[in-house]
Amino acid sequence: MSDQRTALLDVNNFFASCERVFDPKLEGRPVVVLSNNDGCVVARSAEAKALGVTMGAPWFSLAPMAEKFGIVARSSNYELYGDLSSRVMEIAGRFTSHLEVYSIDEAFLHLSGTPAQNSALAAELRATIRRHTGLPVCVGIAQSKTLAKLANHGAKKSPYMNGVCNLDDFTPERVNAVMESMPVTELWGVAGRTRKRLTNLGVLTIRDLRDSDPEFIRKRFSVVLQRTVHELRGIDCISIDSMREIKGQIIYSRSFSTPVTTRAEMEQVLAVYAARVSKRLRKQGYVAGALTCYAATSRFANAENHAPFVAVRFDDSTDDPIQIAAACSQALLGRVVDGNKYVRAGIMLHEISRAKPSEFLEIFTPVSELRQVGRALDTVTDRFGASSIGLGVAGLKSARRWEMKRELLSPRATTHWDELATVFAR
Amino acid sequence: MAVVVDIAKVLSPFDDAAGILVSPVGVAAGFPSPAQDYFDGRIDLNAHLIRDITSTFIVRVAGDSMRDAGISDGDEVIVDRSIEPRDGVVVVAVVDGELTLKRLSVLRDRVVLRAENPRYPDIVVASLSELTIWGVVTRCLHRV
Repeated sequence: MSDQRTALLDVNNFFASCERVFDPKLEGRPVVVLSNNDGCVVARSAEAKALGVTMGAPWFSLAPMAEKFGIVARSSNYELYGDLSSRVMEIAGRFTSHLEVYSIDEAFLHLSGTPAQNSALAAELRATIRRHTGLPVCVGIAQSKTLAKLANHGAKKSPYMNGVCNLDDFTPERVNAVMESMPVTELWGVAGRTRKRLTNLGVLTIRDLRDSDPEFIRKRFSVVLQRTVHELRGIDCISIDSMREIKGQIIYSRSFSTPVTTRAEMEQVLAVYAARVSKRLRKQGYVAGALTCYAATSRFANAENHAPFVAVRFDDSTDDPIQIAAACSQALLGRVVDGNKYVRAGIMLHEISRAKPSEFLEIFTPVSELRQVGRALDTVTDRFGASSIGLGVAGLKSARRWEMKRELLSPRATTHWDELATVFAR
Repeated sequence: MAVVVDIAKVLSPFDDAAGILVSPVGVAAGFPSPAQDYFDGRIDLNAHLIRDITSTFIVRVAGDSMRDAGISDGDEVIVDRSIEPRDGVVVVAVVDGELTLKRLSVLRDRVVLRAENPRYPDIVVASLSELTIWGVVTRCLHRV
């Protein structure tokens, strides 16, 4: 058996924790982060979760509860989250021969020490990230990515573990007990019909799935689920990309046939990937409010690992490939080092919502009022011509967002000079 | 025989336009300048003012309680969170949920967060563990 181990590093309640870095008053208080487009909850602090605040809940529906429990809401501050994320990833890169950034707040690290060394390294990694960035993280260590995810789950749920859970420290009986206590739906990508069919076959827990015949699972389900069975048995066989796709994200990520070594080439790559990812978006009738974009050097390269990772929020949700490409280039190219051999890049879209051209008017304006506006428009165009007046949706939209920003958006304290955080000398 | 090249000629804009790398020093032909090899760009403030970019943050000062430490209202300070707080350094500490600028004084029996302005009181605690030190200030950027 190989001594290679995989660690999953995961920032606890990432967005909410980022909000606390420059605003320590939020420590211990329930914090929710809202999407900028529709004011729905996209992230929650542990305290907000404990209060029963659900993902996707519209902020206005939480108003009575918010007042009672002092829930603090913030708009998504992607500039801040993106910068803090890249700091976390850069620190993590110093602790491993190979870092695979999985999402804005998760990364896999390859470890090759003894179990005790790996645990010690993970504890030091955790303390370093906490001290250097202010962010709390948990680390799960195991033989495969799927098992590392389970271990990470354990590290989060059991405070006595101090944020590090190494499955190598578990007896086989204890691993069995943990897997028995978790339903298969805790696994990435097992839900809906798959769950129902597994239930019919008597596969209810993660242990049941691990102990199923991999060939049988492949025939009845898919090769993807078969790999999950192998992963649960300790064989690392799922690539990070297929993992992302399992999770149902809209993403386009590929390895290059030959390494990309210049910014100019990377810009071309991003343009192509932007076109492809936006096509997926349009095909499903969605628009995206934000994206993350990354590039990575080879794990086998002798040079230092380099995996720049950036996040961008759009002023208006979009499915426009030009806008997506421009955002990726603007954010990522500055971090691409000419001469490094990049072997892959990817674009992931977030804050996905249904494309609705007049969403703002529909949500916030009573129908009767809309009709009056329409009538007024008709009157004007009848008298002065069709192009004399139009719906100023863009203007209305930005006005509303500006209002919201002023109220709920924390300063972009690490990326904008005029929004630096304040330290008090008084 | 060493021929001294006219420095004005070396630095002439025509040379630059022709794509010749201009060295910051006059060059004596036949006697290579040891500095020449090391000229690879202008001074990079990030390189000199920031030790570890991943743990460094810039924050803006509000108030005059650190006046006598040379830190004024409106200045920006560079904070390195990777530096271990020691006696005598200026720190950003969390006081009542706010990021607060103080001089850290570690004494035998107590720890004091001092203002550098007599108009402001000290904050005294029993030990460092009772404080949340956010980071250590390394530089102050003051507009003159």
